[in-house]
Amino acid sequence: MGFTLRSGQAILWLACSTTAWAQTEVLTLPENLHQHPTWLTLGHYHQDTLGESYTSQADDPGFFLSQSGKTSPKAELDATLKAIQQPGGGDEHARCRFPARDAWLREQLDLPDTPVNCPAFEEWSGTLNTENVTLVFAASYLNSPSSMFGHTFLRLDPPQDDDEADLLLANTISYAADAAEHDNELLFAYRGIFGGYPGITSIKPYYEMIRLYNDIEHRDLWEYTLNLDQQEVDTLIAHTWEIQDKNFDYYFFDENCAYRLLALIDAARPGTSLLDEVSTHAIPSDTVRWVRDAGLVESVNYRPSAATSVAHSLDSLPAEHQTIAAAIANGYLTVDAPEVRNLSNNEQAQLFDATYDYVRYQSEAEAWPREHAAPLSHQLLVARSQIDNAEALPDVPEPQVRDDQGHDTFRVSLGTGQLAGSEFTQLTLRPAYHDVLDPPEGYRGGAQLQFLRLDARLYHSNNELQVERITGVEIRSLSPRNPFFAPISWQVGFGGRRTDTGTDRVLTPYLEGGAGGSWRLGDNTQAFAIATADLEIDDDLRRGYDAAPGADLGLLHQNNRFSLLAGAKTKAWIVSSQHRQDQLYLEGNWHIGREFSLFTKFSREDHFDRYQSTWQAGLHAYF
Amino acid sequence: MKKLIAGAILLGASSMAFAQPGCGVGAMIWKGQSGIAPHVLAATTNGTFGNQTFGMTTGTLGCQTNQSVQSMAMYMDSNIDKVARDMSRGSGENLDTLAVLLGVEDADRDTFRQTLQNNFATIFPNADTTSGEAVDAIVALLEQNDALSKYVAA
Repeated sequence: MGFTLRSGQAILWLACSTTAWAQTEVLTLPENLHQHPTWLTLGHYHQDTLGESYTSQADDPGFFLSQSGKTSPKAELDATLKAIQQPGGGDEHARCRFPARDAWLREQLDLPDTPVNCPAFEEWSGTLNTENVTLVFAASYLNSPSSMFGHTFLRLDPPQDDDEADLLLANTISYAADAAEHDNELLFAYRGIFGGYPGITSIKPYYEMIRLYNDIEHRDLWEYTLNLDQQEVDTLIAHTWEIQDKNFDYYFFDENCAYRLLALIDAARPGTSLLDEVSTHAIPSDTVRWVRDAGLVESVNYRPSAATSVAHSLDSLPAEHQTIAAAIANGYLTVDAPEVRNLSNNEQAQLFDATYDYVRYQSEAEAWPREHAAPLSHQLLVARSQIDNAEALPDVPEPQVRDDQGHDTFRVSLGTGQLAGSEFTQLTLRPAYHDVLDPPEGYRGGAQLQFLRLDARLYHSNNELQVERITGVEIRSLSPRNPFFAPISWQVGFGGRRTDTGTDRVLTPYLEGGAGGSWRLGDNTQAFAIATADLEIDDDLRRGYDAAPGADLGLLHQNNRFSLLAGAKTKAWIVSSQHRQDQLYLEGNWHIGREFSLFTKFSREDHFDRYQSTWQAGLHAYF
Repeated sequence: MKKLIAGAILLGASSMAFAQPGCGVGAMIWKGQSGIAPHVLAATTNGTFGNQTFGMTTGTLGCQTNQSVQSMAMYMDSNIDKVARDMSRGSGENLDTLAVLLGVEDADRDTFRQTLQNNFATIFPNADTTSGEAVDAIVALLEQNDALSKYVAA
């Protein structure tokens, strides 16, 4: 076997020993077939930043048939072509190891699709029995920082005309970092960002994912069923087989859980090119938008988390029944108390359902002791089982605006303002994600997550350009408390900011945090009280650093037209400056759809025994 | 179709039994697949199983010879609280999943749901009932029912 190159066209001479119809066959290899987008997708090849050459993102020699396959799509194509034309079959045959490549090459080159015996692959794909593919998005739940990016995985749906099919038993494909042997948090973060963790594709039943995300992490799930046809689904499954157990190094920001799934969809439907959307980071909620915008979504289904469901169940009870539910859950009333028996069967059933869900939730989320929760749960269930044909509590309504329909996460702001009489123009870039004054639809109320935000100011009087603030990460979670739930509202952030030393404003690294409570005043309004702590470290501070305990009391109102935040902050700097810093603030955004907001803010500060006002107004645009 | 699903679940069963005994749902991963999710899962689920109403079973599932019953037992082991909840209400997706795993035909689904709801206290006599005991009780109940006994025949 050999091949010659002639005027840019490769001609491959084949010798097939087993098939009678083709002792030798002239195979015309189209020019630059190895640069065909589908081949590059199947090999996970990406063009190098410098130069014309390609490198595969696969970090596993088992993924390549050619020694130089990682860096040469051409060598890999030649090796694959040769290997799939070898006679025979069996699990070790290239056609069985790379069924998607095999099918594509045979189609491109009009090679005969002779049957091949691949017992392992056939058993595996038969077990997966996939008719539809659903992209599942686990919404972020900002009270848990680990979930802040959201998470996506694929569900492989069996044919639905079969009434024995059951989506809870369907399988799912996830891609995750294998950090098993490493346990140091710092190392974990470092390697996650700069590389070093192997990423592994794994397959698990959907009910386990529901348990993990819906029940344990309290994240709502959005199910986007894709409009892939059967052939595309088969390609996706075949390519999953090719990459499963193969190592692709994992990077939190770009080559993460969402990224590899996009590659699978790209492979299933050539030309989709979802990966081209990825620049510096792939936030799972953004990847859902790309999939949606590529016209891949056929239908959407919402699966509320245990936390969402139980809150809704309790809300659905009449107020006096809510009181009874709280009394039963806390052990003040028994399941067969007169207050309960006086209710109708239907009311009792709904009361038991909501109370049981609440007790279960508290057991998992707040670790209620088993001695209390287990016997009570059992009594509730036994009592409930004696009521037939009761009306179920209403289902949680699907949010009108999905996570992927909220405002886009990259925000650019231009504004003008005045600091103690000195005018400036301010430009702010915020790559991600959301703050409490942004349009609230599609985001959790009271939740804020910003990172890598840059605020730059140009002061008009002396034409001086200044970095006002660099926000590394800023997380804020204001969750109202009520008789059933008592979440802690909290905030944490770090970065660099201008701080007043009394004589100058210097850019200073800072770390801040806080914890407290929040209470609902109306449908969209909450009042919060947070105890705060600040740390600043800089040469310009008298002792090199300063620290301040403090408090932040305020009101937050969020609706689809406008958002308002107002309050008072106080910080007692106790190390270097030994001055109190008191501030009144008022901020408001007027939303124009979900693409723009007009913003204005005003603050008045008393620091170093002088008063100073700052105001600012401008426009946010979301991309 | 049903056999395939049952097979999928049992694949999990074997890795649980042989690879990581006692790790529970967290270890019910395919063919020894590794990854952070399974480890997170193992850690979190084992953490919260201590707080379940009903316990899970370790090691008694091998006594069941009927493959459908084994699949049901596997499912109950990881979803016992949700199955118990749906059972007390006589409806819900977890109860439907049990019916699918046992191969209960549409015509018998109502009887199946009703039987389990009406006998809830027999299936879960107290808060210390394990999933294995519940499975045994379900099998005994279905065996006594003319319409449903065929689904649990050994």
